[in-house]
Order: sequence, then structure tokens, then C-alpha cells
Amino acid sequence: MAGGTPSALGPAAVPLYVAAGLVSAFLLAPLVVPVLISFSDTEFVTWPPQGFTLRWYTKILNEAEFTSSFRFSLLLGVLATIGALLLGTPAAIGLTRHKFPGSALIQALLLSPLIFPALVTGIALLRIATALGAQDSLVNLALGHVLVTVPYVVRTVTASLKLVDPSIEDAARTLGAGRLKCFWLITRPQIMPGLVAGAIFAFVTSFDNYPVSMWLADAVNIPLPLMIFTLTGRFFDPGIAAIASLMILLSVTLILVMERLTGLKRAMSM
Amino acid sequence: MTDATGTLQMARTAPATPAWLRALIARPGTVGVLLVAPAAIFLLALFVLPVGNMIAYSFFRQTPTGELDTTLTLANYARLGSIDLYRKVMVTTLRVSLFTTIGAMVLAYPVALVMVRGHPMVSRLLAMVVIAPLLVNVVIRTYGWRIILANSDTGVLNWLLAAIGLGPARVLYTEWAIVIGSVHVFLPLMALPLAAALGRIDPSVEEAGRTLGASAWQAFCRVTLPLSVPGLAVGSTLVFSLTASSFVAPALLGGNFAKMLGTLVEEQILSVFDWPFGAAIATVLIGIVLAINLLYVWLVEKRFPAPGQSR
Repeated sequence: MAGGTPSALGPAAVPLYVAAGLVSAFLLAPLVVPVLISFSDTEFVTWPPQGFTLRWYTKILNEAEFTSSFRFSLLLGVLATIGALLLGTPAAIGLTRHKFPGSALIQALLLSPLIFPALVTGIALLRIATALGAQDSLVNLALGHVLVTVPYVVRTVTASLKLVDPSIEDAARTLGAGRLKCFWLITRPQIMPGLVAGAIFAFVTSFDNYPVSMWLADAVNIPLPLMIFTLTGRFFDPGIAAIASLMILLSVTLILVMERLTGLKRAMSM
Repeated sequence: MTDATGTLQMARTAPATPAWLRALIARPGTVGVLLVAPAAIFLLALFVLPVGNMIAYSFFRQTPTGELDTTLTLANYARLGSIDLYRKVMVTTLRVSLFTTIGAMVLAYPVALVMVRGHPMVSRLLAMVVIAPLLVNVVIRTYGWRIILANSDTGVLNWLLAAIGLGPARVLYTEWAIVIGSVHVFLPLMALPLAAALGRIDPSVEEAGRTLGASAWQAFCRVTLPLSVPGLAVGSTLVFSLTASSFVAPALLGGNFAKMLGTLVEEQILSVFDWPFGAAIATVLIGIVLAINLLYVWLVEKRFPAPGQSR
């Protein structure tokens, strides 16, 4: 820390570094504590953890409710990502590459699920599903998840498109490439970072979603976050901490991958 | 230009296309509309219409026998505003959201400053620490806080307090637990726009202030802080509206003792099955979020009308 550039932070550099360190501790505490407790050789969740055991991991990996919810959430995440890419990519191209009346309004509409309370989105979807008698929870959940993940794809792909020189596309079209061919051969490779970032955001958003899923799930199809929520009220042993640790491990892997791929700060500020 | 070459292209490779279709595609904007249409129709059908339908439902009434009475009424809203229990839930929601916003602002400021102006290594590390919680499931994060804030002497906080001869504190199942958990969940959403706003400040402006005799603290209060208000405003709008409409943190950290609108609406719809009343609570949530966003527009665009300050 002493190697900092004091000129940029002024004379307050040391207190600022200390404050940032304390906030980091606050941010990391609820992620570190479950990991430590997941190895505790005690029947209940207690602090400080005692002894060392891996039995909680074997227990939860053999817990059918956990593994089936995990598989279901993977499926749901993949479906939502595909749907969001299929709807969001053409929309982003239409909004950035073509001029038409009302495009600002449409852009606002496509991004609106981001600022609209997701809990209310879920209630509205359940209302309409009930009214229409749509009872297939997988279909309902997939549609709801596409709805909340489309904005991420629109945003990341739009950001990528703005970095691509449209005259290259024009050149390809002039030389005889059709619209689809031009997209696949010219545009797609150039906006790949946006597509990948959009896909990652869409998958993570779906995989972690609670406020939409809580209304649309049923007794058969239970996404993982809902299952973990239920288990926290039923199990008081460190098994839940082991689940938490596995989920945190998954997130940390993802963070490192994103940091490698695009640079995390850039990916988040788009 | 795109459309001109497009016409040329269509004419050359697709002679079988009927003339009217070619004419339609050649019209400026048609291709754009076609590209946007699937997503726009999807959102209209599964977002705009359902939300409108739900708001309409909030003006119906459920009779004591469970029938739906479709004469328009404000009875659900009157019930929400007149019964003490529900009024208390609304006040709790607003208070928790306000404290969470303030807490996130205070904690995010030093972090954002170091992220923007600190040593590059520290800045990179800090960005990862700030963003990491965003990618960890909210149920998992809240579960972590349940262990830390547990009221028994096996909680982490009470263990720490006992070590320095204090406590025990009862935090879990109070509004404070919800505030702590929510600050943790939403801090990144304050820190990132704030860091972006701080990054846009030209350092020479502050240097000018210092050269003209301002102390570092004065330069911060008179130059940096005012210039970072747009970032704080974006962050506060996000944090306030997301806290007001959250469910997981109030359910797991507040329990039955500190109810918020999110937990109330879940109870009314999924346990009591009173759809019209639930729809009214949801509509109030929309109102809160709308009000906060309008406040943001008023604050940033009317009070700080500097060029280049758009989101």
C-alpha cells in the first residue's frame, strides 16, 4: 500500500486506503465465513468453527433436492441465455445501425426491465400465466428469465457495435455479401466480446434470479436459489455452508474468467 | 448509404423477391424495425401488458367469500393506508431503503476514490472485491449475514463483541439486520457509478482549487464532492428502489419482526391468495420506484445542468 501515488489521493491517502480496506473486509466477510464454517466438524452452525471435516460436502452432493435444483437452474440459465441472445442481438443491431422513428422509445422499452422492480415483474407474469391457464412452470420460468436477461444482451452488444466501424460492413455489402452473410462473416467476429459478455451476464442473472422465479416455480421445477432459501429454514447443520462455498467458488471462477477475457471494470461499466 | 447498397444487393442476388417486398425493404428504417420487432413484441406481450393488467387488478376487490368483484374501487389502497400494520410496513420499507442508501453512499465513497485514483494494483484488486459480491447469489450472501449476525453467542458478531468485553447484541430479525445485508448487496451499484463520475473529473480542476489556496479538505468539499453528485444520484436511485422492492434480505434477516412491502406482497399473494390487495401493494412499489427515478431526473437535470453529465 505504501507504493501508492500520494499525489492522486492527496494527504488523505492513508486514511482512504484504511477505509477502503475496512469496506473490503465488510464486503468479503459474509463470503468468507460460510466457507470457514463448511469445514466445521460440528452438528450445528457455530462460530468459531471446530475441527476439520469434508463430510458436509459429501452430504450435500448426495442431497437429491440440491443436485436436481442445480441441474434445473443450469437448464434454465442456458434457455434464458439463448433466448436473450436471439432477441437481443438483432434488436441491438437495429437500434445502432438503422434509423427509424420511435427507436429511442423502443430502446427505453428494451432496457426497462433493468430498473423495474423484478418482484413486480414476477407478480405480473404470474397473474397473466394464471389468467391464461399457462401451467408449465419450465416455459413460464424460461420466458420470465428471457425477459429480465434481454436488457443485458442489448446493452453489451450495443456497446460492442459502437466500437465497430460500420464502413467495413458497408464495404462487404457493396462487394455483394447479403445481410446475413455480412453479419456472420463481418459483424459477428467483431462484436464477439459483447456477445460473450452478454451471454455471461444473461446466464448469471438467470442462474441467480430469485424475485421472478419465486412466483413462477412450482413443486417440481425449483430453481437453485429458491431451493437454498428453503433449505436454510430446514437444515441447521454446516451443509448449507458447504452449498454456499460451492456457489462462491463458482462465482470466483467466473470473476477470474471475466477479468481475463475483458477486464472486469470495463465489463461492468458498459 | 447502407440502404442504398442494400437495394443494389437485393436487386442483384434475389431476383425472385416480389417488387413490393423489395420496395418495402428499400424504405429507410424498415430493416431496423424488422430487427427490433421480435424483442419489442416480446416485451410488450410479457412485460407491458402483464404489468398493466396487474395494475388494473389492484382496483378490483376480493369479497370475503373469495370471489372477484370487478367494480372499480380504491378499497385496496385505502386498506393499505388505514390499517396500522400495513402503514408500519410501508414506513419500515421507506426507512430501511433510506438508511441503506445513506450507508451505501458512506461506504462506497472511499472505495470509489481509491478505485479511481489509488495505486493501479490496489485499484484492480479493489474493483474485484467490489464486483465479486454482485456475482454471488443473494440468498448465499444473506445466509452469510445470518451466521454473522446470529443472536446467540455462536454468532460471529457476538463472538467479536465478547472478545472485546461487549455485547451480546441482538441484530438479527431487526431493521438493522436488513440495512446491513442490503448495504452489502447493493454497495457495488453505488460504488461503480460513483467511480465513473469521479473518473470523469478533470484533475486540473482540483489542482486549480489547491493552487488558489484551498486545503485538501476544502478542495474535496467544494470541487470533488459537487462534481461527483451525478454518480451519487445514479447510485442512490438504484440502491433505494432495489432495497424498497427486495424480498430475500427482509425475509431472511428481518423475519416476522421487521416486515417490508416485498415480504408483505409475497404473503398476501402466495399465502392469503388476496390477488387484488397484492396487486395494490405491487403498484405502490412501482410508485415508489417511479417517484425515486423522477426525483433523480429533477435533481440531475434541473439542479446540475452541466453539459456531458448524461448517464
